[in-house]
Amino acid sequence: MALPSLTLLGQSLLSGLFIGALYGLLGLGLSLSWGMLRQINLAHFALAFLGAYLTYQLAGAGINPLATLAVIVPCFFALGALMHWLLARFSVSALVTFGLTAIIEALIQWIWTADFRRMESGYSDVKFRVGALYVALPELLTLAMALALSLAVWAWLRHTYTGKAMRAIAEDAPIAAAFGVDVHGLSLLLSGLCAAFAGVAGLSLALSYTLAPGQIYAWLGVVFAAVMLGGLGNPLGPLVAGIVIGVSEALTMAFTAPAWAPLVSFSLLIVVLLARPGRI
Amino acid sequence: MFEVERIRVSYGAAPAISEVSIRVGAGELACVVGPNGAGKTTLINAIAGLHPIEAGALRMDGRDLSRLPRHAFCGEGIAIVPEGRRLFAGMSVRENLELGSYRRAARARRGASLERVCDVFPVLRERLEQAAGTLSGGEQQMLAIGRALMAQPRLLLLDEPSLGLAPAVVLAVFDVIREINASGVAVLLVEQNAALALELAARAYVLEEGRIAAEGRPAELLARPHIRRAYLG
Repeated sequence: MALPSLTLLGQSLLSGLFIGALYGLLGLGLSLSWGMLRQINLAHFALAFLGAYLTYQLAGAGINPLATLAVIVPCFFALGALMHWLLARFSVSALVTFGLTAIIEALIQWIWTADFRRMESGYSDVKFRVGALYVALPELLTLAMALALSLAVWAWLRHTYTGKAMRAIAEDAPIAAAFGVDVHGLSLLLSGLCAAFAGVAGLSLALSYTLAPGQIYAWLGVVFAAVMLGGLGNPLGPLVAGIVIGVSEALTMAFTAPAWAPLVSFSLLIVVLLARPGRI
Repeated sequence: MFEVERIRVSYGAAPAISEVSIRVGAGELACVVGPNGAGKTTLINAIAGLHPIEAGALRMDGRDLSRLPRHAFCGEGIAIVPEGRRLFAGMSVRENLELGSYRRAARARRGASLERVCDVFPVLRERLEQAAGTLSGGEQQMLAIGRALMAQPRLLLLDEPSLGLAPAVVLAVFDVIREINASGVAVLLVEQNAALALELAARAYVLEEGRIAAEGRPAELLARPHIRRAYLG
C-alpha cells in the first residue's frame, strides 16, 4: 500500500468535508421531522431530487440557480405542509412516504426522462486555488448553506418561544397543547420547513452532480447513517455527523480503494450505537 | 365558576367515566378521591382538554369549552399539574417555566410570574439552567406546579401531587397548594391520599367505577362510616 502524497491527502480531506456538508444538508429535514414529529419521511430524498430537477429546468431557462430558491423554497414549504396535513388527516403509516418516493421518481422520469442531466451554470466550473488545493464553488456554496441552515434552526429552537414550543412538542405534545401550544399548526410549520430544506439540498445536488432519477436511492443509506449518528431532532447533528462520515470515507478512499468507502459510514454507525445505546 | 356537567369519556368502546358532574367555585379548593382505576385521571385530563369528551359539557363561567381545540383550554384559565409530572425533561427548568406562560396573555407577565414561582419554590431559582430531568422527585413536582402557575390559571388542576414523594416533601407540597388557593386560585385536587385531600378541601367528590358515588363537605362525607372505612382505613 503506497502512502498518498500530502496534496492528495489534503484534497481528500476537503472533498470529505464538502460531501459531508451535503449529507448534512440532506439529513437536516429528515432528522427534524423524525426527531420532533416522529415522522420518518422517506420521500425527503425524492423531494430533494425534484428540487434538483426544478433548479435544472429553471436554470436552463436562464435563471440564476441561486435565484431559483425564491420559487422553490415557498413551493416546497407549501408541499411539505400539505403532505403533513394529509398524513395527519388520514393518519396513515409512514410507509406511504415510500410510495410517494416512487410516485415522484416516476414523475421525474416522465418529465425529464431517465437520461442523465447536467445543469449548465456560471457556477459549475468556478474553482479557487488555496495553496496546492482546489476548492470548487458549488461545494463551497453547499457547505455555506448547510452551515447557515443548521445554525439558524439551532438558534430558532434554542432562543425563540416558537422554537421552544417545538421542542416541547417533541417531548410531550399533549402537555404542550395543554399550555396553549398549537401542536397541529407548529407541526405543519416544521414539515413545511423540512420540505423547504429538501429543496435547498436539491439546489446543491443540481450544482455539483449529474442527475438521474435512480440516484434518489443512492443517498438514502449514508444520509440515514448521518441522521442517526447526529442524534434525531438535533439540528447540528446531521452536519457534524455528515462531515465525520464524509471525511472518514474520503480518507478510506485515499488510503485503500473507493469500494471500501460505504463500509466506513455503517461501521461508524454500528460502533456509535453499541457505545451509546438508547440514543435514538 | 367552573362546572362539569354529566360528562362521559371513553377509551375505545368502554366508558371510563360517565354521568360525572362536579363544580368548583371561584377560589374554592375541591377534591376528587377514589380508588385506583376509578377514572380520576381521566376526569382531570378531560377538564384540561387532554382527552375529548363524548357527552356532557365543561363550563367556565357558563361558557361551554367542550368544542374548543386542545390548545385553547389554557386560555380559559385552566392549567394542569399532570400525573407523573410530565415535565419537558430535556429542557431547562427556565424553559419549562417559560412554556407554562406560552400563551400571549401569560407571556406579557412572564417576568413577574417567574419571580413569584421562584419565591414560592426557592430551590428552583438555584436550578433555572439545569435540565428538568435531572431534578429530584420533589423538585420535579415543584417545577410541575410552577409551570402551571406560570400560566396564570384561575383553576389549577392537580393530579396525584403526592405520588412518589417522601412524606416530608408531601407536606411541603400541600402547604404550597394551600397557599396558592389562599391567593385566590381555585384548585381541583385528585388524590389517592384521601386523608390529606379531605383535610384541605372545602368540597369533595368520591369517584367509584367512573361515577360520582358521593359528594359533599369533607366533614359530612367522613361522617359516613363506609366512606371512612374505604378511604381512611
